[in-house]
Amino acid sequence: MQSNKLGWFLLAPTLVVLFFFGVVPFLYVVWLAFHQWNPFAVDPTIIYNGAENFRRLVFDQAFLSSLGVTLAFTFFAVTTQVILGYVLAQAFMRDFPGKAIFRTIHTLPLIMAPIIVGSIWKLMTTPSIGIIPHYLDQWFGYDLNIGQSAIAAFTITVIMDVWHWTPLVTLTLIAALVSLPPDPFEQAQIDGANRRQIFWHITLPMISPAILATVFIRLMDALRTVDEVLMLTGGGPGSATRYLGVHIFREVFPRTNYGYGSAVSVIVLYLTIVVCWLLFVGLIAPRNKKA
Amino acid sequence: MTHTEPQDIETPQNEIERQEESRQSPTDAKAPGFLPIQTNWFDRLFISVVIWTGLCLFWLRFLEPAGLSLNFAHAIAVVIGIVLIWKG
Repeated sequence: MQSNKLGWFLLAPTLVVLFFFGVVPFLYVVWLAFHQWNPFAVDPTIIYNGAENFRRLVFDQAFLSSLGVTLAFTFFAVTTQVILGYVLAQAFMRDFPGKAIFRTIHTLPLIMAPIIVGSIWKLMTTPSIGIIPHYLDQWFGYDLNIGQSAIAAFTITVIMDVWHWTPLVTLTLIAALVSLPPDPFEQAQIDGANRRQIFWHITLPMISPAILATVFIRLMDALRTVDEVLMLTGGGPGSATRYLGVHIFREVFPRTNYGYGSAVSVIVLYLTIVVCWLLFVGLIAPRNKKA
Repeated sequence: MTHTEPQDIETPQNEIERQEESRQSPTDAKAPGFLPIQTNWFDRLFISVVIWTGLCLFWLRFLEPAGLSLNFAHAIAVVIGIVLIWKG
């Protein structure tokens, strides 16, 4: 009992900070989602309007379009990051010349602020001055213009996200792979298992918690991507890269529609929770039940 | 004079086991209902809230324009919630 009291006492500062900077703003956003509020209007009063924001939201074509492209972006970005991250993690498990330098360079994008990443990719993809359109045109005769082509803009945002965040996945999976005990692998090799069997039946099940944790982190990040995309494409062309984060930004800041923006934010949180929970139920919970 | 069963005797080992049980994660809870996963009451409350929100959004989009009040969705969600928490 004494140890419990001491534990709560030591946790108290963190809990207080979390309450005021995490729980209170969240509850405020949920409360605001049921109100109409434009703080810069002639009448800045907060007016209760029930479920009106959500009623508007489910018919809002801009929101539904944002939702579709966000889910597509999240799927392609996170899947690519996990596959590429695993391949790189396996590569870094072996020794090769220049491994330390390559690993350092590979990790550099992680320390960059998203707004800088967006600026760099904007410079690299701007037609006439960007290195990527230049070489694509020279080598393949492909005219890359992310200001005109919706598919090109979407693809470049996915590639940018993969470039930025794959190192995180790699580092997490390296940590998971390093911590694996050697015995099951040795036993499998003695039993004559090939590399594919070892991967599917030993490596993958043993590192699946690490993969799942990484996928959760990346899912949450990808569903609320704003700054990189806002810097690179501004949400365009049209609404091709107007992801949910960008949509919320446009509703809240230029239009100062705080109530509706809060409702969209709550729905994004809801989506994130549902997607993560479904993943958890699908991948981890059945294994716990078997155990 | 009261008779004491061996399992009633408080030992450090019992205390450790009890603490371990209380520290089990929600997914380890032994309460199998009709849900395909093991849950505790808070998990089922959470699932109920998730279903409630989803049902309300679905209702607003597809059924309310046909004249069905959102209150029906709340009523259905409450019933589902009670069943889930009680039997799930």
